[in-house]
Amino acid sequence: MSIAEESGFVGEMHHGTGWYCFPTNRFKTITLHAFWINQLSQEEAALGALLPHVMQRGTKKWPTFQIMEQTLESLYGAAFRADVGKIGDKQLLSFHLEIVSGQYLPGHPDTLALGLEFLQEVLDHPLTEGEGFRAPVVEQEKDLLRRQIQALINDKGQYALTRLVEQMADGRPFGLRKLGRAEDIERITPESLLEYYRQVRRTRPFVLFAVGNVDPEAVRKFMSGTQGETAAGIAPIVPYTQRFHNRTLIERQDVRQGKVDIGYHTGITMTDARYPALMMYAGILGGFPHSKLFLNVRERASLAYYAYARLDAAIGSMLVGAGIEFEDFDPAVRIIGEQLDAMAQGDISDQEWEFTLRAFENDILSEEDSASQLIGRQLEHTLMGGGLSGPGLIQALRAVTVDQVTAVAKMVSLDTVFFLTQSEDGDAAGKESVQ
Amino acid sequence: MSLMTQTFENTEIGERRIQAVLPSGLTVVVIPRPGFHKTFATFATRYGSIDNAFHDPKTQAVVTVPDGIAHFLEHKMFEKEGGGDAFDDFARLGASSNAYTDYTSTTFLFQTTSHVMENLTTLLDFVQRPYFTEANVNKEKGIIEQEIRMYLDMPGDRLHSNLMRALYVTHPVRIDIAGSVESIRTITPEDLYTCYRTFYHPSNMILLVIGDVDPEQIIAEVRRNQEPKGYGLQGPVVPVYPPEPAGVKEKHVEKSMVVSMPLFVMGYKNAQTGLTGPALLRQEITYGLMWQMLCGKSSPLFQDLYGQGLINDRFYARYGGSTTFGFSALGGETPQPELLEEKLTQALGRAPLTAADLERAKKREIGEFIGLFQNPEELAYAYNSLFFRGIDIFDYVDTAMALTLPDIEQARAEHLRESQRATSVIRPQDN
Repeated sequence: MSIAEESGFVGEMHHGTGWYCFPTNRFKTITLHAFWINQLSQEEAALGALLPHVMQRGTKKWPTFQIMEQTLESLYGAAFRADVGKIGDKQLLSFHLEIVSGQYLPGHPDTLALGLEFLQEVLDHPLTEGEGFRAPVVEQEKDLLRRQIQALINDKGQYALTRLVEQMADGRPFGLRKLGRAEDIERITPESLLEYYRQVRRTRPFVLFAVGNVDPEAVRKFMSGTQGETAAGIAPIVPYTQRFHNRTLIERQDVRQGKVDIGYHTGITMTDARYPALMMYAGILGGFPHSKLFLNVRERASLAYYAYARLDAAIGSMLVGAGIEFEDFDPAVRIIGEQLDAMAQGDISDQEWEFTLRAFENDILSEEDSASQLIGRQLEHTLMGGGLSGPGLIQALRAVTVDQVTAVAKMVSLDTVFFLTQSEDGDAAGKESVQ
Repeated sequence: MSLMTQTFENTEIGERRIQAVLPSGLTVVVIPRPGFHKTFATFATRYGSIDNAFHDPKTQAVVTVPDGIAHFLEHKMFEKEGGGDAFDDFARLGASSNAYTDYTSTTFLFQTTSHVMENLTTLLDFVQRPYFTEANVNKEKGIIEQEIRMYLDMPGDRLHSNLMRALYVTHPVRIDIAGSVESIRTITPEDLYTCYRTFYHPSNMILLVIGDVDPEQIIAEVRRNQEPKGYGLQGPVVPVYPPEPAGVKEKHVEKSMVVSMPLFVMGYKNAQTGLTGPALLRQEITYGLMWQMLCGKSSPLFQDLYGQGLINDRFYARYGGSTTFGFSALGGETPQPELLEEKLTQALGRAPLTAADLERAKKREIGEFIGLFQNPEELAYAYNSLFFRGIDIFDYVDTAMALTLPDIEQARAEHLRESQRATSVIRPQDN
């Protein structure tokens, strides 16, 4: 066992396989979260998205979805979720299990052992038939995945953001959707999916996180008995480089509210020494209710209900978003631009500075009270090969100067403005009928 | 400390709470979370969007106010006399703050990792010092209008809103929590003061603190804050709800929007209303277990519908409500709403339920209940809503354990009535 970082995690990573444990009595449940880490590619994204869904439909020991669900219910409603995530240009095949700590249950069962056994059964013994997964299951899940891909349009905020990042990426992996494309699902067969599973198991980096009342030794033992040979370490996430400047794209739909989303290049990722200064920059600009964007777009101009800025620390971008009236596009973009100008000129009050610093301190310390946030930040560090967190990050933020913030402000460069607005024919009233 | 505080324990799950009722009628509750960095506190009033008509506590006259005013009032409470707002006061103390309004309550909250006492004082003071002017009320209308428009573009939100308008004939739960763009335009500072005086009296409120704190110290601090404010006792607020018939208003409501696939929800209105306290808790858990057994992921019905592609894993079936209303809602995305409705209505009444199903459903329910205590936000939401309905949260496990299969069968017979059923569908719009 190695590393006991300031992060509070104990664990190790060798040749692309590893585990991290955060032992604490703070939580009522034990959270186990396992990931296979994939390079995002147009060819394989749909396969990677489909695999976890098929794997959660049955194993050798629990051959049907119903038996799996009944097993979870009997484990005091253990919550199991297999799906796909994305950080930068990585697609994450994710297996998440949360189970109540044995100490709070009748008979005090060893729920860590039960949880690990469950995960192992899912990861190592999926239900197969001949040289493929079960055909009806694959067909059902293909259909559901296709629908899930199409359902992005139901969430306008998410849709507009996804379209913006896609446009900025211009075909590069960080802009690919984690679910893949509907047209790529078609040619997946039960056999090709099983072949893909074997390849993933053999070659993809694998990490298991465990948070709660857990014994790291039990997790270490579990890991030494599982996962065979594998690939080299995790390839670093490729930061984004800017291909467009000051571009405006407009898309029309039958909507009641316009969404303006703006993408910027920062050139600074989480492992960069300037990252704490960039955090202060984005926080003062639009991270909180006291920030410039919220105050000027919402409180002063009453243009929006929400207005924010947030960083994608993995690839070095910043996104600004607001929901506005269709005709307020010009004033909203102008006011947002003015706030960035103010940041670049160092027009930052003591109050803005102090409030932002304290808000970050609050956020960073609070992360430790949530198993999923603890795992999220440790995963990011694992993928990025470093980065500050916890008290170390707080110290670094306190050391940032206004000059450092204006210096990073000068690196922030407008890439693309994306505006989702109403259809040309104007009348946005939906067709409604009551029977 | 001489103040009368009481400690309640639930040793099996390792939880306790410390509680006091101040002379003004304000209830203060502390739930310790050893080892946590953050402290989460809520100050909540039993006043939600359904309370749009009530007896004025002074004149006893019935007052009717514009729809959406409880939510509007929630926004406006952050405004301070002399400029600035409460968000800034919390930000100065390193805390984040927020608020939310639902059908039956309004909640103000902060979350902090430092200066707990100062933040607590800030929370109590801003909620107890209203400041509404013509100008600040009018300014808020633009912001809330954008909030309402955002909801209008959310298909799931429209689906639910239409279901409520179909299920209910007169009860104000049929109106959107935020009201409408038209209704909020008519709100005046006087309306806000009337609602404030009526519903924000301490006797109608609860202060809940969850964190690694000293409960006695918290309670003493709150008392010190409250005493000089001189709140006298106020009788209970009496909201007025029009009589609601047992049957639904519409059987079926549809709307088209930009969605990839139809959204479907089916609702059952509960006619057995009027319960509070342990009886209400028992009813809610019974309905919850019934839905888990009938169409939870482990049920044959779920498996059948999933296998046929009629539902996905986001399909839900749950019961929610309060004393004056209650409803079940089940639904999700489906390619064939009519077929899904037909399959559901055929199966729900006659799907066999077994003792083994009930045992598993109880285990799941208890596991989820225990897990609640590690999430202060969810715990506070659950605690406050149970408190406002006269329910002791620590009765939860025993109440669930005591339920039997005949209880579930009886719930099915009384709740799943055709005359109390309605459906709402959002269909993809042809472009």
